[in-house]
Amino acid sequence: MIRVRGLSKRYPSGTVGLDGVSLDVAAGEFVALIGSSGAGKSTLLRCLNGLVSPSAGTVSVDDQPVTSASSAGLRSVRARVGFVFQQFNLLKRLSVLDNVLVGSLARVDVWRSLLGRFPAEDVERARRTLKRVGLEGVEAQRADTLSGGQQQRVAIARALVQEPRVLLADEPMSSLDPALSRSVMELLRDINREDGLTVIASLHVLDLATTYGKRIVGLRAGRVVHDGPAAGLSPAAAEAVFASDPAGEPR
Amino acid sequence: MVRWSGWLAIAAAIIWSAWSTEVSPGRLIEGFPFMLDFIRRMLPPDPSVLGQALRGALQTLQIAVVGTAVGAVLALPVAFAAARNTAPAWAFYWTRSALNVFRAMDTLVYALFFVAAVGLGPFPGVLAVVVYTATVLAKLYSEAIEAMDPLPVEAVEAVGATRLQVLRWGVVPQLVPHFLSFTLYRFETNIRAAAVLGFVGAGGIGFYIQTYLRLLNYPAASTVLLVLVVMVMVVDFASSRLRARLV
Repeated sequence: MIRVRGLSKRYPSGTVGLDGVSLDVAAGEFVALIGSSGAGKSTLLRCLNGLVSPSAGTVSVDDQPVTSASSAGLRSVRARVGFVFQQFNLLKRLSVLDNVLVGSLARVDVWRSLLGRFPAEDVERARRTLKRVGLEGVEAQRADTLSGGQQQRVAIARALVQEPRVLLADEPMSSLDPALSRSVMELLRDINREDGLTVIASLHVLDLATTYGKRIVGLRAGRVVHDGPAAGLSPAAAEAVFASDPAGEPR
Repeated sequence: MVRWSGWLAIAAAIIWSAWSTEVSPGRLIEGFPFMLDFIRRMLPPDPSVLGQALRGALQTLQIAVVGTAVGAVLALPVAFAAARNTAPAWAFYWTRSALNVFRAMDTLVYALFFVAAVGLGPFPGVLAVVVYTATVLAKLYSEAIEAMDPLPVEAVEAVGATRLQVLRWGVVPQLVPHFLSFTLYRFETNIRAAAVLGFVGAGGIGFYIQTYLRLLNYPAASTVLLVLVVMVMVVDFASSRLRARLV
């Protein structure tokens, strides 16, 4: 489903984001990406849908190349990859329903979407999806009137109406309190189980990763330092992922 | 130490300026009876010129409406060329510099220029409002563009939207309320600016204010001024109510 080979990213500032990452993720997996901040979790996720272009290496999703894609090719990959952001990234002034409808942009006729006239089936799908993530009756409200937990559900609904093959979630709960974090993670787990949707979520809380992930991938200084089933993650292995490098340099 | 010399310099500048401009409280007090006399002679307002005053006010309003609308449309593309996050560096630099030059002159100065170019009447007034509005709004719009949140824009890109869709669903919802609010605010100030355009022969209610004051017909001048005050207040009220609902 997802194939990553020799992926490296060096930012113009000289910071190393990724350093030779190779990874395969099969359809239907729930991968928890762990590591301390700056370990490259965000960069890796963003390379998977082309929001960041790597310095070296290749990525393909569903046998479609991402790294060498044309802009049309990249759009078609992105249409099949849902992305949930740490800060939700909703359009605050738009209604909840309009925010979710943004998820159907790649499917609908461009001119109709520019006029804001979405097909009835897309509106229906958006309403259904909002209901599924536990948000009914707030469709007409402005997005910024909702609580953080509700906003993240809107963002998840936006990703789900894409009817994606993969859902990428970049620290989806780090702006939320612990109880809300759990409810968001449970929602992602349900989506993974019920729809067979491949989920890759980066998490900086180990506890959530082992509870909800089936497979744990540990990143440290831009490299994969751990890869295995969540059940078998030993405390020592976890400690090695999160251990700080004194010099802050890749080993 | 440095602080004290700074305050001292400011104080010196104020005193020097006051002295140079012949500021004199004594003369103000001496002039007080004349002010009262002036006001007394303006009362009661002469209702016979009401029709004239209303026609002048309407023309001022129309100058402001056309001038603001055309200025706003012209400002739109310029604003994107004057915003750090949407313009190439060289375009940004030149556009910003050009805007600063044009904005150095007020509407009335442009009116003098356009009266000389196209002759007397409301048309040079409209042109003056257009030019000044375009430069001011381009600056304000560009600041709104720079303050835009890039994260929701990225989110719209991430669903596989085309560039036009990203503009429509990621950028426009963030900018349009600000743009409309700035434009309405500029419309309010343009009414005031257009009210004095008649002083230099560029149409509107200002022509009647100046004419009646020159003819020493104070009751007629006061009717015209009252009409102007009411119009400005009504427009300000309506416009600020609208703006409050936008942002």
